[in-house]
Amino acid sequence: MISDIIHRLGHFLAYSPGEPMLFSSGTFWALFLIFIPIYSLLHGRRLQMCAFVVAFSLYFYYKSSGLFVGLLAATSLLDWSLSRIMASSTSASVRKCCLGVSLGCSLGILGYFKYANFFLWNINALVAGNFQPLDLILPVGISFYTFQSVSYIVDVYKCRVTPTRTWLEYAFFLSFFPALVAGPIVRADYFLPQIERPRHATTREMWLGLWLIIVGVVKKAVIADYIAQYNDLIFESPTGYSGFETLMGVIGYTMQIYCDFSGYSDMAIGLAMIMGFRLARNFDFPYKSRNLTEFWHRWHISLSSWLRDYVYIPLGGNRRGTARTYVNNFATMLVGGLWHGAAWRFVFWGAMHGAGLAVHKATGPLLGRAGDSWPVKSLSWLLTMSFVAALWVFFRADSFSDASAIIGHIFADFDPAYIVPFASARMLWLILMVFIIISHCLPSRFWRRTALRFIHAPWIIKLIVFLTVVQLVIELRTESVAPFIYFQF
Amino acid sequence: MRRNYLHLWLLLSAALVAVIALSAFSPVTIGSYELRDSGIAQTLSPQKNLPTEFSANSKTSEASENPSNPTPPAPDPDYSPENKTILFIGDSMLDGLYPRLAAYARHNGHTLYAVIWYSSTSEIWGRSGKLKHYIGRLNPDYVFICLGANELFVRDIAAKRGRYVSTLISEIGNIPYLWIGPPNWRPDTGINSLIASNTAAGSFFLSDGMSFERGKDGAHPTRQSAAEWMDSIIRWMPANSAHPIRFDLPPQRYDRAHRVFVHTPDDK
Repeated sequence: MISDIIHRLGHFLAYSPGEPMLFSSGTFWALFLIFIPIYSLLHGRRLQMCAFVVAFSLYFYYKSSGLFVGLLAATSLLDWSLSRIMASSTSASVRKCCLGVSLGCSLGILGYFKYANFFLWNINALVAGNFQPLDLILPVGISFYTFQSVSYIVDVYKCRVTPTRTWLEYAFFLSFFPALVAGPIVRADYFLPQIERPRHATTREMWLGLWLIIVGVVKKAVIADYIAQYNDLIFESPTGYSGFETLMGVIGYTMQIYCDFSGYSDMAIGLAMIMGFRLARNFDFPYKSRNLTEFWHRWHISLSSWLRDYVYIPLGGNRRGTARTYVNNFATMLVGGLWHGAAWRFVFWGAMHGAGLAVHKATGPLLGRAGDSWPVKSLSWLLTMSFVAALWVFFRADSFSDASAIIGHIFADFDPAYIVPFASARMLWLILMVFIIISHCLPSRFWRRTALRFIHAPWIIKLIVFLTVVQLVIELRTESVAPFIYFQF
Repeated sequence: MRRNYLHLWLLLSAALVAVIALSAFSPVTIGSYELRDSGIAQTLSPQKNLPTEFSANSKTSEASENPSNPTPPAPDPDYSPENKTILFIGDSMLDGLYPRLAAYARHNGHTLYAVIWYSSTSEIWGRSGKLKHYIGRLNPDYVFICLGANELFVRDIAAKRGRYVSTLISEIGNIPYLWIGPPNWRPDTGINSLIASNTAAGSFFLSDGMSFERGKDGAHPTRQSAAEWMDSIIRWMPANSAHPIRFDLPPQRYDRAHRVFVHTPDDK
């Protein structure tokens, strides 16, 4: 009996390949139940609190990525040591050297794990060689924490940020578990001051954090996971369904990726808030956008602002003439595309967004003359969303040919006769889609008021709301939890 | 512990206790709606030996023969494996299976009707009488069933679902049939052995033990994997099925069934 319990506990706590510890999983919440009282008791003991959170974060990463936790710890140690040398040195060459070594290591590790096979495949195709792909496993969340590490070391180099005094503080910043595996990408200038002056959440922040977690769970575990089941059928069989059904799959994936990723971000922000930390907003109703520039101000804000500050502006931004601005925009989006994955379809996705942004900027004055009437607004929205949704196909499809087949099939085999059978067969799918669209259309103040109502609601009402959402997840769950889409990046 | 943290901790703990309680007292119904079991009570309770009429451990890409009804009966001299009207009913697993079976059917001159009832179980089909309805309407001379995936973790399965499985078998009557077992992604609580014990010899294909490439939900085989699953069933049939059908390998991978009927989880 005891050995059985120990065996199960060991299995529960050990790393299981392919089963990352998600915020919507029971395992995480069981551990969080243990985490909360200890964290609360460490109030006022900054060092112990940091050590505890770092230990929990590293364990969290171990559960998701196994022994790659060593890589994370080593990267943080190297970055921190170099940042200290940089801060204490007055020699420009030493500082540059430290910057180079740190960037080389961080980007080199990312490049090796994420892009080595992509590089090999392309060389293979060019020279008709016979290279074998490397047997590589991408550490979970490496793209996110690498970008954090880059921003930290660049900011220290540019004296925008004072390096942390201890490795523990830097490890706290880099491995902070709510944002570790899928963002939001935390910036040092925003986060380090919070580590220096940690505080516990107020009651209001605590319940707002829980509210955000509930919203995130609904988006991710209820909506995204459910609608994904149909969308996956479409993307696995690009021409196996009618044009109308394929179109629904494309729209479904557009909503799925938003609910999946923004839901995760909501949970991360909520968890951090419960701990008394603020993470920047990552999504701001992106599908309300009426042009691509606005879309990128609302979608994955932490990544787009990172790309702006560490790629676009260093390239010259808009300071070197109109043509160069467009080129910089395009190049930045190419990097953004490649960041999402080592495949040409991601490059294409980034390039098309870059081109779209350039076109929007170039035609801005002309578009401005069209006015701001409802028909113009509606048309702008429709064009923007069609463009965004069409590009998501390249993001999701297994290959270029699949993506082209899906888009072509929508037009080639579109038959309205499928609308009624589809609606009757996929009623819950449709209801959830309508729910997302309506929730997107509601004004922001509605959501603020709803959050306030939850915050001020009696404890028992909060419990009922939480339990209802948990049961909803159980009712709609697939037996194995679908990982967050952004885990792979 | 600080007071606000205490309140949060109590809320989360109360939620956990409630979920465990709901699971322990499962099935819990609200009105006529039965709440789905989280399975947490089963996970926390000491492992009991699951019904093991046959092994489900072999991880092969080919299905193993079901030892519980290993010997098909002698072939009926009047039985013809040609020009069949096939009725294929089941749960969402049909989404992956039927396009491949449709390709076989078209190539071999059979007519395939598929009835997909999402989230359905043997209980849902058994209570509804829909199998009987479709048999009366379409007059098939072969029935494929793929059910059980939504019942992998039902406790006391024999008591709860036994009569529905036998209802389905009796609704099929004398029509040759093949029940395709669910593609287990975890050990089941007895659905496979329940089906095996109710079906005639050579009329149950055990899918448990096969390896599948799963979709993102971790449960449904991918379209490619489901097609390979169907291929395995087809290869298994000549030597093991009580009533084999002519199924030469088709040139195309997928096809459309003659007609597909779809039922949603809300249908009665």
